[in-house]
Amino acid sequence: MISAFFYESFYLGLRTLRRFFRVPANWIGIILFPLIQLCVFSQLFKDIIQLPGFRASGSGSYLAYLAPGQIAFTAFFAVAWSGSAILVEYRNGYMDKLRATPIHRLSILAGELAPLFIESAIMAGGILVLSVILGASIKTGVVGALLILVLSGLFGMAWAGTSFVPALLTKSEQATGTLSLLFLPVAFMSTAFVPPSLMPAWLQTVNAWNPITFLIEAIRPLMVSGYDWGAIGKALLAIGVMGAVLQTATLWAFRRLTA
Amino acid sequence: MASAVIEVDDLVKVYSGGTRAVDGITFRIEPGELFGFLGPNGAGKTTTIRILATLLRATSGRARLAGFDVETQAADVRRSLGLAMQTPTLDAFATGRENIELIGRLHRVRGAELKRRADELLELMGLTDVARKLAGTYSGGMRRRLDLACALVHRPQVLILDEPTEGLDPQSRLALWEELERISRDGTTMLLTTHYMEEADRLCRRLAIIDNGRIVIEGSPAELKAGVGADTLILQLDARDPEDLARQQDDVRRVLIGFESMEALTPEGFGVSLAVRDAGRAIPELMRRLDRNGAGVHVVGLKIGQPSLDDVFLKYTGRRIRSEAANEPIILGW
Repeated sequence: MISAFFYESFYLGLRTLRRFFRVPANWIGIILFPLIQLCVFSQLFKDIIQLPGFRASGSGSYLAYLAPGQIAFTAFFAVAWSGSAILVEYRNGYMDKLRATPIHRLSILAGELAPLFIESAIMAGGILVLSVILGASIKTGVVGALLILVLSGLFGMAWAGTSFVPALLTKSEQATGTLSLLFLPVAFMSTAFVPPSLMPAWLQTVNAWNPITFLIEAIRPLMVSGYDWGAIGKALLAIGVMGAVLQTATLWAFRRLTA
Repeated sequence: MASAVIEVDDLVKVYSGGTRAVDGITFRIEPGELFGFLGPNGAGKTTTIRILATLLRATSGRARLAGFDVETQAADVRRSLGLAMQTPTLDAFATGRENIELIGRLHRVRGAELKRRADELLELMGLTDVARKLAGTYSGGMRRRLDLACALVHRPQVLILDEPTEGLDPQSRLALWEELERISRDGTTMLLTTHYMEEADRLCRRLAIIDNGRIVIEGSPAELKAGVGADTLILQLDARDPEDLARQQDDVRRVLIGFESMEALTPEGFGVSLAVRDAGRAIPELMRRLDRNGAGVHVVGLKIGQPSLDDVFLKYTGRRIRSEAANEPIILGW
């Protein structure tokens, strides 16, 4: 039973990855926005690093400060529209074709969600490499870099619920796209651009609960200073709680759709 | 006799909006049969198929496929079933081979056997040359064939095809018919739906005409057509004007008094159309009568029309099948 579930999810997941990487627009679209922010903002606001709040982050340059945020942005973008694919296949009948085969119904969902770990990690990895090329460094080396990819991948997989739930509930690609955009301010209100000490009080409060901030604050020390296990633990907890809530909702919406 | 492969008993499906899509359908399909559902769009064919394929739950009634109940033994039903829906459903970003292999894997066809089976099906469907191309680049006919290959990969006991040639050009349709006949000869039990009379006529050993969610009549195409009774004989008349036409039509009627093969005579714009039993035998006698007494009748053409399944449909439903075409409703989200 369990082995059948993994077998089915594995092959369905391979298909999902193929579908993603065979269309260059997918990964170019995801990487472009964070890349532009990384290039432009690191130059535009170069001197912002002189402000006192930045010193505490340990970043030597604004590029170094910005890079972790853009890696998190990439993981965010990698899954922002991830629910549309399952929707397209629900509409065109491919999901019925899968459902008429002797597989566990949830394998179809797992085959969509699990690959998002790899997609997010690879996309985030792309931006990580580009930031290093632009002049950022990774203090913790290869192991730290891998840890960054794992965190990004886990975050992507959990965050994907923000796209899957509206997709499965509204059954409309357009609604899914629009609702995904509504989450963009969450990314902008994180500590991607400025440290919390420079934020107004209300935004600091928001940030205490912003899952993207937890991810960024775990990645940043890995790049600029060293292992901060406290921050990593908090990020994992935040991702875990968010994932549990969002994916429970996804599961419910999926069962409702395929009932 | 072995038990039926498909057994449907008083099946009813009422959608949440109140539409009775299937309204008490009962039928049996024996092993190896090629059985057809003929009916206009919206008749309930697709709904019945979706229930049989475990994709939709019936409101009431019972359906068994390969001996398994579609409701309580869905997994066994799915193992026995190959399904191709109305529009080919393929993974556009996977190659032809990958499409077949994925469905094969989900049906637990593995390793060397899977590769052999994929090769075989690609060859059979004439897709070997494009096996490594993405399915999204395929033409309509190629998509159909690939979809069919996917449905066959696990050698299903039952093959269910919803409108298998919908949207194909005549050539591809003919090729697909030949393919389906070959699959049927190999012993696979098949259920297909169609709203093309020629298709039902050519392929199906037995068929059910379905309208408004009910089976109107069931039988072999020949039986059904024989049930209509008469052939149609069309006499084209050469007339100067409407009065002349009317006069000639009266002459024909007069000449044919006592012509026992004739069941009805209908004046038409082109002349007259006659309903006759066994047109082939009736023609010599008809010609003799016209020759002897029909001096004023100028026959310029004679055509025999055998009853078509369309006539069968007309007889039992009072409507022609073609004019009923209405597309599936579009499901609107937000």
